[in-house]
Amino acid sequence: MSVSVWAFSESPSVANEVASSASSIARAAGGSFTVIGLDDSGPLLAGEEKVVLKSDVPLSTSPEAAAGALAKFAREENPDVVLVGSTRDGKEIASRLAVKLGRPCVSEVFGASLGNGTLQGKRNVFAGKLVAEVAVPLPCVVALKVGTTSALPASEAAAREKAMGSLPSKTKLLEMREKQKGTVDLKGAKLIVAAGRGVKKKEDLAIVSELAAALGGAVGCSRPLSADMGWLPEEHHIGLTGVTVHPDLYIAVGISGQLQHVAGIKDSKVIAAVNTDKSAPMFEASDYGVVGDLYSVLPAMLRQIKARRQ
Amino acid sequence: MKIAVCVKHAVDETELKVDAGGNPQLKGAATRMSTFDKNAVEEALRLKAAHQGEVVIVTVGTPEAKKTMKEALAMGADRGVLVSADPMAIDTRRTAELLAAALKKGGPYDVVLCSEGSSDMYSGLVPPMVGELLDLPYVGYARRIEVSGQAAKVERALEDSVEVVEAPTPLVASVVSEINEPRYPTLIQIMQAGRKPVEELSAEALIPGAGQSVSLVRGMKAQAMARKRVVFEGPPEETAKKLLEALASEGVLPR
Repeated sequence: MSVSVWAFSESPSVANEVASSASSIARAAGGSFTVIGLDDSGPLLAGEEKVVLKSDVPLSTSPEAAAGALAKFAREENPDVVLVGSTRDGKEIASRLAVKLGRPCVSEVFGASLGNGTLQGKRNVFAGKLVAEVAVPLPCVVALKVGTTSALPASEAAAREKAMGSLPSKTKLLEMREKQKGTVDLKGAKLIVAAGRGVKKKEDLAIVSELAAALGGAVGCSRPLSADMGWLPEEHHIGLTGVTVHPDLYIAVGISGQLQHVAGIKDSKVIAAVNTDKSAPMFEASDYGVVGDLYSVLPAMLRQIKARRQ
Repeated sequence: MKIAVCVKHAVDETELKVDAGGNPQLKGAATRMSTFDKNAVEEALRLKAAHQGEVVIVTVGTPEAKKTMKEALAMGADRGVLVSADPMAIDTRRTAELLAAALKKGGPYDVVLCSEGSSDMYSGLVPPMVGELLDLPYVGYARRIEVSGQAAKVERALEDSVEVVEAPTPLVASVVSEINEPRYPTLIQIMQAGRKPVEELSAEALIPGAGQSVSLVRGMKAQAMARKRVVFEGPPEETAKKLLEALASEGVLPR
């Protein structure tokens, strides 16, 4: 019997990535995969088998309604594995679906494969200090970690439409504000200079921004600077509960290197750190470190960057 | 207003030791209330301050979880409900089922709060599962909660957007850590916490068969941290130069 895999994300930018994982997982197991989308969240790009769920109510902005639609369709088609992108709304949809269908569910999974009637994979636990091996018996719902696979190329295949009727939603969306784009795009940044508590005053962030500008990079920060001090908007917060980044170069300036912060930068190609405290955990998580005061090391770096360019 | 907060007693990941073979030493490891749960307790206490009522802490845990219960009671919660089961031996769905059953038994609650995820496993699945199981409105990743009358207005922090959502009470919500700054209990509060009532429920009594292990985790190993850990010390001009040279040789500096 061939295994059937569904790939779903309410987020168009994540949907292709989930489709890509579904494609390789299904192919390796000799199974089939179908990409499922929501009518109001943009066209489906990847996949040969596409189904778009339609409803009288908005689905893309109500995880409850989206889960309702998916559950209804899943009861008809009975897919062995439903893969969902581990976005914030995606995890809610996966949870609800698991309860509705009475299936086990695991989130933030990467490196997934099928075998012996289970989906096996890994997930980071204990703020990234450990990796857990999970084995989820089929049929199951699994939310895949975002940003671990490249997107699948778009296909010409037309999507089948499936009307799901009306679906309940107990909450009402009053307003949606896009976070300011353009000011910071840490997820896609190739180079990031991030500030931590070693920066003493808000005005001193200028030194960090100056280094970032000189290197053509973006500015990030550790949690205290955005959440406690409010020196930078929450969008700059890198870490477990903030943004996960994967630049070519990450420079941590005055960041002690708490597990929660390091969890958000693990996939960086090269990590550098500047910190006065030689025993700061940040150095353990770095390729290159400078023990020194950022107030003298950063200006020295800037002088040398400028000198190189002349 | 009757408010419940679901919390988890967890191993302190910052104190967790790993042996030479990469195996975590979970037995005897330092434990405490899951970091972000303090924000959920804090938010409940703020809601109580504004609306009067009662804050009840609900947890699924081993007898050791009484430590977390005491932490939450010391912060100002009124009483606790401890469902005895080992959260590391059951999956998220079973945990959510036990929480939902305990909430139903002691309810109805006007507001049920959770944090966005536990600091140990960080699945983020249990709060929406509780909402779904109780068939209540659920709002995840709240960074602001305002309750007035029979409705709540909640600001949700998503990846690329902020949503303002309205939901009738009773409701279930998860909060992000930016929602507030958790208070520190005073010495007197810590001393008084031991005298606050904690009801113990057996998992088996709530849901027959719920005590059985249903873990989906096969094993845990230390994350390979393949970093070079080269450290430069000396005068700033010198260390800055060495760092830039090293980064240039890695090919990660713009030319």
